[in-house]
Amino acid sequence: MKPSTLRLGLPAKDRLRSYRIWDSYFTPSFASPGSDGSSKLIADIERSLPAIETGCIEKLCYFAHVGLGTTNDAQYEKLVRTRPDVVLKPLQRWPNLLLGMIQLNASDVAASLDALNRWLRDGPMLGVYFASGSPGALPCTHPNMRPLVQRIIELKGVIMQHTWFKTGGKDGPNESTPAELAELAANYPQHKFICAHAGGEWQRGIRAIRDSSNVLIETSGFDATAGFIEMAVRELGPERILFGSHLPSRSLGTELGKVVGAEISEHDKRLILGENYRQLLRPMLKS
Amino acid sequence: MNVNAIRFSRRKLLCGSVATGVTAGTGAALAPRPGKAEEDDSRRPRIIDTNVSLFQWPFRRLPLDNADSLVAKLRSLGIDQAWASSFEGLLHRDIASVNRRLAEACRSRLELVPIGCINLELPDWESDLHRCFGEHGMPGVRLHPNYHGYKLDDPRFVRLIELATKAGRFVQLATVLEDTRTQHPLVRVADVDLTPLPRIISQVDGARVQLLNHRPSAATLKIFAKTDGLYFDTSRVESTDGVPQLVAQLSSGRVLYGSHAPLLIPEAALIRVNEAGLLDDAALRGLLGENAEALMQANRS
Repeated sequence: MKPSTLRLGLPAKDRLRSYRIWDSYFTPSFASPGSDGSSKLIADIERSLPAIETGCIEKLCYFAHVGLGTTNDAQYEKLVRTRPDVVLKPLQRWPNLLLGMIQLNASDVAASLDALNRWLRDGPMLGVYFASGSPGALPCTHPNMRPLVQRIIELKGVIMQHTWFKTGGKDGPNESTPAELAELAANYPQHKFICAHAGGEWQRGIRAIRDSSNVLIETSGFDATAGFIEMAVRELGPERILFGSHLPSRSLGTELGKVVGAEISEHDKRLILGENYRQLLRPMLKS
Repeated sequence: MNVNAIRFSRRKLLCGSVATGVTAGTGAALAPRPGKAEEDDSRRPRIIDTNVSLFQWPFRRLPLDNADSLVAKLRSLGIDQAWASSFEGLLHRDIASVNRRLAEACRSRLELVPIGCINLELPDWESDLHRCFGEHGMPGVRLHPNYHGYKLDDPRFVRLIELATKAGRFVQLATVLEDTRTQHPLVRVADVDLTPLPRIISQVDGARVQLLNHRPSAATLKIFAKTDGLYFDTSRVESTDGVPQLVAQLSSGRVLYGSHAPLLIPEAALIRVNEAGLLDDAALRGLLGENAEALMQANRS
């Protein structure tokens, strides 16, 4: 028996396919797609393809930089302002595999509102990712977030906020915590918000958003610490958990392992690995 | 699972431990490699997890912190053997009883090989080392310098490497157990500074040290690559192609499969090994089990 033919740690392919996995957190070349507009991004997507196939992942959502100054790559920022079509290259190459959201610059509200019209109202993007460490990032409780969130809600877009609860406190003033996202989300109880990484230190993260029924957690971005999914299902219910792969900078093993290795029901795994995200995206996919 | 092979390994291990003390135990046969007849391509690869722990993680209950549950999970994943140390060794000071409980827990579970814990900050730690090798027949010991509060340039660390090497045993060095960002605020433990390690290993002829839970940077890996006798596990190696990249950058036989279960979900490390499909069958066989068998085998000499 050749080792390369073994399903090391993975369920059988049929079972994996039955989960219909949709990945809410795909991060190829996350910091910048490359000065030419796409080469680093495309290379990182190609690098991820074997794991995508291994994991039988149907769709993955990545977070495009659309010329709002969310990268430190001045050449790219200049290029994308004159040639915004470069943003679409990955979606054009893998139309059946990729979904897209955009990264906004909360420090530049006017340009971000324009981008929402261009990429969500008129374009193919499904929502917005708010980073914590990128240029222009602000904590999600900042007043600048209000008009952006209101516009995203009007457009029925998905809102994902990077969050961490770090021992010793934030690395910088612009990071957001799950508690701060819960504070923001309380103002818009009819709209759902995604708490990316569940705060990293998920025991605190889950508690922070537990009473915020419109906040869901995303599962990637930290070691495959045992007990996470079990606690999340117990405290939040399986409907409030979304799978994220964080490929390729993190591994399929770490991220898919969290869910397939969890002591939860097959029904709950199906919800977490795909159905919940499809449900969340439905309004945008219909429009 | 090749149960007979495991039983044989265990019996040999126990026989070696009874018959030999730490100074005389260098010839003990601790884990024989399979014979040539067994080494054909149709054989399921033997999988050895070099990094598991028994008993309770100090900061929360884990789904698999019961030894029977952990062993059942490892069996279900096709793991043939697991090198087990004890979470009790992090904070307990009665290390002798920690290691005794570990040895007892492993004795009745044939897949588990006990790896004792040594705390160099405790008086007379040498006695614990002698008991691990002589009384319990352990093939190696595991260190937690950051939880126990010493640096690697501490003379006691050098002394331990010398004693273990003289006894023909290996040393596991856990460089991190938990991401510093998620640690309990009252027990914040920095990753172990490995800077002195290559020099120390080169000073002790025949020393064998396995780093556990280490996520090497490109710069440190260049240095470590030149350090014969330094081994790695896969438990926290990240990125989709991180494991094959690590294998490619080191000389043959120095990356061993390890999961850091039950703190980390055992499926994670196992999936990661070949998710990118970049390792050939020989490399996979080595990483999954043969490299660990070779490290154990070297205990004979």
